[in-house]
Amino acid sequence: MARHNLRTVIGFEVGRTLSKRRFWITTLLVPIGIAIVMTLMIIGNTSAASTADAQADAAMTFTYSDASGYVDPAVASKMGGTAVTDDAAAIAAVKAGTEDAHFVYPADPSADAVQVSGVDKGLFGNGAYDAVATQLLVLSAQNEIGDPALAELARGNVSVDATTYADGEKAAGFMGVIPPLIYVVVFFLVFTLLSNQMLTSTLEEKENRVTEMILTTLNPTTLITGKIISLFIVGFTQVLVFLAPVAIAYAFFRDSLNIPELDFSALTFDPVQMIVGALLAIGGFALFTGTLVAIGAIMPTAKDAGSLSAVLIILLIMPLYAVSSIVSSPHSFVVQVFTYFPYSAPLTAMLRNAFGTLNGWEAAVIIIELFLLAALVLQLAVRLFRYGSIQYTSRVSLKTVFARTRSDVAPTV
Amino acid sequence: MDFASTTVIEDLSFDVRRGETFGFLGSNGSGKTTTLRALLGIYLPSAGVLHIDGRPFTPEAGSRLGYLPEERGLYKKESVIAVMAYFGALKGLSKKTATAWSMDYLERVGLADKAKTRVDKLSGGQQQKVQLGVTIMNDPELLILDEPTKGFDPVNRRLLMDIIEEQKRNGATVLMVTHQMEEVERLCDRVILLKNGRAEAYGTIPEVQNQYGGTMIRMSYSGDIPASAHYDISTRDRNYAELTLTDSTDEALILRDLVAAGVLVRSFATSKLSLDEIFVSVYGEQNEMAAR
Repeated sequence: MARHNLRTVIGFEVGRTLSKRRFWITTLLVPIGIAIVMTLMIIGNTSAASTADAQADAAMTFTYSDASGYVDPAVASKMGGTAVTDDAAAIAAVKAGTEDAHFVYPADPSADAVQVSGVDKGLFGNGAYDAVATQLLVLSAQNEIGDPALAELARGNVSVDATTYADGEKAAGFMGVIPPLIYVVVFFLVFTLLSNQMLTSTLEEKENRVTEMILTTLNPTTLITGKIISLFIVGFTQVLVFLAPVAIAYAFFRDSLNIPELDFSALTFDPVQMIVGALLAIGGFALFTGTLVAIGAIMPTAKDAGSLSAVLIILLIMPLYAVSSIVSSPHSFVVQVFTYFPYSAPLTAMLRNAFGTLNGWEAAVIIIELFLLAALVLQLAVRLFRYGSIQYTSRVSLKTVFARTRSDVAPTV
Repeated sequence: MDFASTTVIEDLSFDVRRGETFGFLGSNGSGKTTTLRALLGIYLPSAGVLHIDGRPFTPEAGSRLGYLPEERGLYKKESVIAVMAYFGALKGLSKKTATAWSMDYLERVGLADKAKTRVDKLSGGQQQKVQLGVTIMNDPELLILDEPTKGFDPVNRRLLMDIIEEQKRNGATVLMVTHQMEEVERLCDRVILLKNGRAEAYGTIPEVQNQYGGTMIRMSYSGDIPASAHYDISTRDRNYAELTLTDSTDEALILRDLVAAGVLVRSFATSKLSLDEIFVSVYGEQNEMAAR
């Protein structure tokens, strides 16, 4: 019966949330926004490519003077340039529209700017002057070097493939940090998306005066468990909806959007780190959800509950302000406090786990702490819901709730 | 049943027999709703338990219980049929059965066209009808109704009472909290009167009437009414008197004794205190004290 009721609660909660127009409007706003930005980027990139092609195809003629001596006249000539000595006359020709542009190369181009004068061709068209003036100098320098490989090295185009070792084994490096960091992103995303729903999920029973009907039909633990599972399903649906346009863009519009190809095979999944990350995320989720449900149960309205939940959210995101310390000084006092304080522990510990600074016993202590506290808070939430949710208009007194304990085994009423 | 250091209900024990309608009576604040909540486990009592057919009640034990709380409420943003189907499922019905039952019920109470309407778009009375439907949709063996007619107009009150009577005919046991004494006299087999968390009276309506003055004789007469151990003269005004019987002596014997004593009896009628009069006599004094 309890399992049937759990399924019924989940079905009802998920069904009514997903059938709401408002849910889809707010959920689809994000992917629609992403799609609009991507469309604009595709249009922009196409336009930029067309402009670049047009600029490349367009025969630009220009004059130049070279005090540095670095410009190769042959290269300049190929690009449509003509050397002159009278800068004033050349600029006058540009002003008159008889010449497209005039470049003045200073004696030391690495220290002083190249002066460019050109006929105005609009915001994007004018970019061609800078490009041509720079390219002329770069190609001249490469010609001077003579060897294309040396020229690339001179431009700093060097790729490095580093391999590091820890305890005699090849270390995963940055590719080993990314997978456990996924838990941080998912945890943060789910909590951000769902915190308000967590808070109001039990307030609804209270505000609608449904609690008494519910409590005589099913166990409050079943109700709250069902609501938490429903929230997770709804949150997962939202994340999928958010990620859909990103996945579609990566699969079908990678070139148009200039998205680099990701080599997922380079990612390293350390099973211990992944398990620890998952446990920290689940424990943290349970703790925060239980706490929000408990807050919802003792407050008469969503507005009243909002102020308390804000404190919780601040506690959650506080470690993000100290992320540089968490990464670089994991044993500093502040990071240690964040690591063990229950409400800042999930994010801090997940970050430290990803960067490999959370050792085994620390992870064990935090995981046990989170799960134990989550169990306690969930029990408290159920108790507060049982008594708090029929205090329809006033805030629940914790003293009263805890005073209601069964004093003995009683005779039949 | 305690709230912090305050004892709200104390040493209260009663049984409701299968198939009967039981009235749970008391003034405002006497502990009726608190008792029901404690029985149903909504409040955790400091002692006591509700047994149904000898087994302790738990929401998920499969007991066929229907409870209409004093505080009415449904999921307001959902459609009527969705809410009814949800509660039906929680009460063990299949979705198909719950939906079919709900449509029949809505037809009966004149809300068939509101099945897909959001609950908060209904009037208060219409919401109450839906809530009553939710209460009885699992064909409950025990129906607990906390002020069921509160907020109903006379027409809908009659409809509701008909539905309750129908449930009773179908074998349901009904426990009803109400302030409407005519409803109690019409429907209830037995009652309990609660005062300050304790049972003030408990039994069938005639038993309670007997407990509170029992039978009263109203008579007009000439002569002197003799003193008797069988009655008290509660009112005497010229040739009219009211005698309250102090034991179960037959009224005919009283009349015979009066005539034998030389009293010329012109009219002689027996009556019992109405529940309404008993209620006023029990709680009026309490209210007067509270007012002071």
